[in-house]
Amino acid sequence: MSQQSESLFTSALKTTLPVFLGYIPLGMAFGFLLEGAGYHWIYAPLMSIFIYAGAGQFIAVALLAAGAGLTEFGITTLLINLRHSFYGLSLLEKFSGVGKIKAYLIFALTDETYALLTTTKAPDEGSKGKFYFYITVLDHSYWILGSVLGAVLGSVLDLRLEGMTFVLTTLFVVLTIEQYHASRSRFPFMAAMGAGIISLMLFSPENMLLFSIFIGTLILIAHERFVQEDRDIGNIVDQNPDQEEIP
Amino acid sequence: MEDPAHLLVVTAVVAVATFATRAIPFVFFNTRAPPQILSTIEKNLPPMILLLLVIYCLKDVQWLCAPYGVPEIFTITAVMALHFWKRNAMLSIFAGTGLYMMLVQLDVFSILFG
Repeated sequence: MSQQSESLFTSALKTTLPVFLGYIPLGMAFGFLLEGAGYHWIYAPLMSIFIYAGAGQFIAVALLAAGAGLTEFGITTLLINLRHSFYGLSLLEKFSGVGKIKAYLIFALTDETYALLTTTKAPDEGSKGKFYFYITVLDHSYWILGSVLGAVLGSVLDLRLEGMTFVLTTLFVVLTIEQYHASRSRFPFMAAMGAGIISLMLFSPENMLLFSIFIGTLILIAHERFVQEDRDIGNIVDQNPDQEEIP
Repeated sequence: MEDPAHLLVVTAVVAVATFATRAIPFVFFNTRAPPQILSTIEKNLPPMILLLLVIYCLKDVQWLCAPYGVPEIFTITAVMALHFWKRNAMLSIFAGTGLYMMLVQLDVFSILFG
């Protein structure tokens, strides 16, 4: 490994540290659950390698236990993970020109990896594809490692891990604040609060994320249309569409 | 013990469905540029989705019974204060997680609710 890519890797390692701490206990919980349902431990890493979706895998175990049919597995998974389609939408530009690894970056796009990719800048602009790859593959391997640990050791270990998965909540809080500093518009945060609270009240906890992203996107579109119209009518001098929200 | 072949088929189905949700936008807008309206909201999606992920993480909190989400709100407030003050991501994340683990494992707020 060259000097430069080594520092890229180290930087990715540091960036993904909170995800490591979050994925190990979460992955262990999954492995533990699958093993508890009567499956050989080897299926835990197998599912974590090829599916790699937290909520999706937990629900798959629940569906297995319920004896669901293949159609139910397919439709449930599509609905649970539909939010990922929105993630790709904001990564089209970032992922263009990353080369052959693009397919893998898309395959392994989880909530946490998305959060890191949209918030972290590659230390060296020239090798952003490599940097994205390191982040993605590290997160993926933490998840696999966690699920193996869970399936193999979960039943014999008594770790005081209670509350440790909150590391992912604090990670998202910190990344939201970083976005707050980086973005000139305050509107997305207001849209998120509105859509989040509406969804918490109207939908079940499992469904609230997809619906809140959907509602929030509608709010963003409505806002954009409204502001656009406003600008057309008033013919405002302001050339930058992002700037009207500056207090 | 279940039939291993069944689990392999299930894994394949779930894997394909998951990959499909992630690949949809890239397949759709591979050759043509996304419509103007999409590319403008595209920039506003990450801040919105990140805050929604925070709210999503709190989805299972029982707000109406003890401890009324106090450990979560307390920790998030502390993390926000610390992060606005120091702007050190690692410090904010680990101090916050440590604080939360302490709060729930020692059941610190139980005194408040008798």
